Amino acid sequence: MKGYIKLLGLDTVWNILKYVFSFLAVMVIGSVLILWQGENPVTAMTYILEGSFGSIRNFGNTLRWITPCILTGIAATVAFKSGVMNLGIEGQLYFGAYAAALFGFYVHLPRFLHVPSCLLAAGIAGMAFALIPALMKLFFNVNEMITTLMLNYIAVLLTEYFTYIVMGISAAGDSLALSTPPIQDTARLTNLVVKTNASTGFVIAVTLVVIIFMVYRYTIVGYELKQVGENRRFSKVGGVNVTWTFLAIFLLSGFLAGLCGSIEVQGTYGKFTASFSNNLGWDGIMIAMIGNTNPLTVLVVAIVWGILKAGSLHMERMCDVNRLTVLLIQALFVLFITVDYRTLFNYFKRKGAIE
Amino acid sequence: MLSIILGTVTMAAALRLAVPLILSSIGGCFGDRAGIFNIALESFMLCSAFFATLGSYYSGNPYVGVFCGILAGLGCSALFGVMVFHMGSSGMVVSIAMNLGMDAFTSFLLLNILGKRGSFMDPKLISLPTLQLPLVDKIPYVGEILNKHNLVVYFTLLAIAGTWITMYQTPFGLRLRSVGINEKAAQTTGTNVLRYKWYSVLITGFFVGIAGAILPLGGTSIFTENMSAGRGFLAVAAIMIAKGNPLLASLYSFLFAYAEALAASMQNFGIPSQLVLALPYFMTITVLLFSGIRTKMKNPSKEAA
Repeated sequence: MKGYIKLLGLDTVWNILKYVFSFLAVMVIGSVLILWQGENPVTAMTYILEGSFGSIRNFGNTLRWITPCILTGIAATVAFKSGVMNLGIEGQLYFGAYAAALFGFYVHLPRFLHVPSCLLAAGIAGMAFALIPALMKLFFNVNEMITTLMLNYIAVLLTEYFTYIVMGISAAGDSLALSTPPIQDTARLTNLVVKTNASTGFVIAVTLVVIIFMVYRYTIVGYELKQVGENRRFSKVGGVNVTWTFLAIFLLSGFLAGLCGSIEVQGTYGKFTASFSNNLGWDGIMIAMIGNTNPLTVLVVAIVWGILKAGSLHMERMCDVNRLTVLLIQALFVLFITVDYRTLFNYFKRKGAIE
Repeated sequence: MLSIILGTVTMAAALRLAVPLILSSIGGCFGDRAGIFNIALESFMLCSAFFATLGSYYSGNPYVGVFCGILAGLGCSALFGVMVFHMGSSGMVVSIAMNLGMDAFTSFLLLNILGKRGSFMDPKLISLPTLQLPLVDKIPYVGEILNKHNLVVYFTLLAIAGTWITMYQTPFGLRLRSVGINEKAAQTTGTNVLRYKWYSVLITGFFVGIAGAILPLGGTSIFTENMSAGRGFLAVAAIMIAKGNPLLASLYSFLFAYAEALAASMQNFGIPSQLVLALPYFMTITVLLFSGIRTKMKNPSKEAA
């Protein structure tokens, strides 16, 4: 045991222990919640796994849910790593999705041009929406956290309003199933698994994660970006233009969020539906926090998230356990992962030594 | 049009809508002044709204409901305090986790205790009664705005003054502010920093608890999923613009609520409902922008990012 600790380093061991503790705590709480609903925890968890891997169709569905989790997760990671508190991924995602739906419907292009230009348009829309809080922060020092939070609500309502305009109906009436016309077939992403919504978007997402990991790991730009997040003053003295970095990172985060919205539209729905995203942007923020803003861990966490998302639907259909249980457990996991177990452990150890 | 903008109906509605915002922003001011980063007000509010509903439903007495709401608010703030002060978590991460978790938690309890999805409405769920003030109703314009509200509305008006006095005229407030400005300096003067941080978090929980309780019990008698709907964030924005001054924060809260009330009455003029609903958020962004510009003009050399 001691040998392993020496090999890995004490920090790594505590890091692993942190995940183990949190996982155990969450499992216990989750089991209690499932028992309260009158089900066997093991059965419920089996249903989750069955729902995500039980058949080829289920597996495709899991891939479909993993894709947005990866993209929003990486959007949040890029931002948090450089100290940009972009909580507006949800809003940027909405604008990206809306732009993709419009571009896919109105523009006629051959397939090999249409798909990438649609993705690009969505990315730029997300970027443009991220520009507002970024500029407010840069010029007037307005906290970006609160502006992005407000802009989330504005984005959901504005895209809904724009959808009305596109549909050509007056703004009165209810918002149920309000959506834009379906996009052209040339703008749709290719399916990966037959009869499911898993699309090449998954490949795009994984490629992006790998690229971003490489940039952080092997390039000077990546080092600078990381340094800005860790120690702003140091990087400034070192000759990094902190202001431009801040802006660039904010825009990149918005771009990735917009891309996620576009893949949702081009790969799954084929149209923009008002308030379609069920907290996808917030999922990304949670994933980035659990993954400790390391692109590879984020990838792993996003995969787990996708499995839970796809599996919980199946679980809800098959037994009495509600899907909310899974959502609750996900939030609790974030809460437990933030606990500084090492300091806590040392504190209790010292207390024990005194007594 | 002017009768709508300044009319007593709009103003009274604005006051009613402002109460949860004002209460949570004056509560949050204490946390802000003690240097605690807390954007979890949204979740505190939602939690206390749910438990206030439960309390009122089972006891049949709305005041018991408010009491349960306060307890829920205190419970949430205790959780926040334990995580941030004793477990070494960052306030931002805990806030985000609580905001997301509370949405699921209240919906989960709604389903498992009351057996309802989406919203809960029952004749046994009783709202706070409105009061008829004896002298105030004689005053022409102000009387119509101030009369016929529930007890919490009047409590709020007193609380604004009370918190301002506590913050700026008492030794307690002075020490609390000193903790926020410089922890080490406060400690050298003999202030127990941790204790003051706990006080401020619990005060936040207390006020946000009442604010949450008033959401279902303030006349509508209905609890819906995600009932707080961004009000906690609006309160945080108000605190930020006011820089932790309870008086200014309640003023900005009233402004946001006024935008909401105005928007509600403008809905009849054919303005699309989405734009109307977005008005308070637009208002917040605009006010944030202007306050940013003002600070920048006062202190142009300060760097942003």
